[in-house]
Amino acid sequence: MEAGGEALAGPPMSGYKDFWQFAAPTRVVAGRDLIGGTGFEFAKEGAKRLLIVTDEVIHGTGLIDRVRSGVEDGGLEVVGVYDDVPPDSDSAVVARTAAAAHEHGADSFLAVGGGSVMDTAKAANVVFTHGGDTRDWEGFFGLPREDDGLGRPHELAPLACIPTTCGTGSEVSFAAVIKDAEAHVKYIVGDFPMYPRLAILDPEATRTLPPHIAAATGMDAMTHAIEGYVSSEWNPHADAYALQALRLIRENLRPAVESPEDETARGNMLVAANLAIQPTSANAIGIAHSMSHPCGAHYDVPHGVANAINLPWVIEFNAAGGEPIANRYRDLNELLGLEVGGRGEQVGHALAEHVRGLVSGLGLPTRLSEVGVPEDGIPILVEGAMGDGCTLVNPREPSEEDFAELYRRAL
Amino acid sequence: MAYFKDEQEVYEFIGKLFQDLVDDDELAPKFQKANTIVQYQYRNPESQITVKMLEDEDGQVDLGPTDLDPEVIMTMEADTAHRFWLGKVNVTVALARGQMKAKGPVAKILKLVPLVKPVFPRYREQLEAAGRTDLVEAA
Repeated sequence: MEAGGEALAGPPMSGYKDFWQFAAPTRVVAGRDLIGGTGFEFAKEGAKRLLIVTDEVIHGTGLIDRVRSGVEDGGLEVVGVYDDVPPDSDSAVVARTAAAAHEHGADSFLAVGGGSVMDTAKAANVVFTHGGDTRDWEGFFGLPREDDGLGRPHELAPLACIPTTCGTGSEVSFAAVIKDAEAHVKYIVGDFPMYPRLAILDPEATRTLPPHIAAATGMDAMTHAIEGYVSSEWNPHADAYALQALRLIRENLRPAVESPEDETARGNMLVAANLAIQPTSANAIGIAHSMSHPCGAHYDVPHGVANAINLPWVIEFNAAGGEPIANRYRDLNELLGLEVGGRGEQVGHALAEHVRGLVSGLGLPTRLSEVGVPEDGIPILVEGAMGDGCTLVNPREPSEEDFAELYRRAL
Repeated sequence: MAYFKDEQEVYEFIGKLFQDLVDDDELAPKFQKANTIVQYQYRNPESQITVKMLEDEDGQVDLGPTDLDPEVIMTMEADTAHRFWLGKVNVTVALARGQMKAKGPVAKILKLVPLVKPVFPRYREQLEAAGRTDLVEAA
């Protein structure tokens, strides 16, 4: 099938596609008692003098002291700790982080925290290496390259991540989402050199994670897996990651939230989040994210909470978009032990109800109105969702009115 | 071999399409909601089209040098642009492969992608009316 058919007639949802691209270049080290070996592992990636990037909450838990000890045991030097990263990091924070790295003479970054911390470190690495303001690098695949911009991209400084939440998967993704505080928008910088060189998955790093954040970030991971699997940019590589992520989430999300002492569940949720993000390396994502991004930008709704609320409505919308799309959802329903027969609407409803029950059971809000989104905010949310990059890769093309209706339902 | 022999052909066909769009009573208001200035920088042949789509202002298309200050810069082969307007390029794939490069607030442009689909037949008709079915068939 020619690409032209794809552009005009909608994406194929099965068979052998005309094109896909998949990359997972981050070395992942997972298991127990790995914090003490941070320096040993990061040395293999070329780090010598590193800046730890984190937030005050994580710093206050004592985790950073253990990380620092682990770094120094490996013969590396911690030249500074930047712990002033807020939950929604912005361009100014990134600039200060990059400046701190220069001031301390760092040659590498170690991010210890959740999505905001890791994205800050990724963006700061770009500014640290190439200069300018983060927003100068907004967009995809725009970092400097050899051969007049067409060749191999120039490398960034070594970056390692130790995630302390189980959701964003930013430790193995090539993009950073940063807020422009003045314009009230979130923007993305993404390119291959931004993949962290090392990710250390140790449940010890999530030991102090509050249950409500474990629930929200876990739902973020689930949204990545489901949207990644049904996206127009699905591909067999991404499918493998999404389905295994969903299996792990099926077995471990509730225990990880309800029994924080369950180290096995927390460890498996770290791995699930890590796997679930991989489809996004092939642009496989969808409009639950398109809807959630403006909720965060305009009303400060935590990303995982917004996804948890929006996902079931999007599932029902997409699954009603034709048999090829519904069949992708049938795969997910089978994995989750749900109804797989009937029309697309029924398949979608079964999965949506399962997600709603899970969200409610985890103690998360189920309505946007519960988290500060007003009804008169819908037009500005619709505008944001229409312009979100995730909209282009949704399996069913939404109109402005579709988005307005989805927001009304989610309200 | 490139589809267009020189920059004038790029302006004659792709440039004219943009000019028609900003003058279109139905489509222009939708494009103006993007509220941005986009510059398309093409290679083979080297050419440049800058499009002003600002709310509450008339649209403007500059072919070649411009005084407009673009917010978004899209870079690609002129061939890719030609194939895009014929409906033969998946933007997501083109961005992933680096066939199209976007700099700036890309969301403002991505929002327009669904809107341009009705324009694809118009580009084809424009080429055919100019007797350039060779450009349609070659792509």
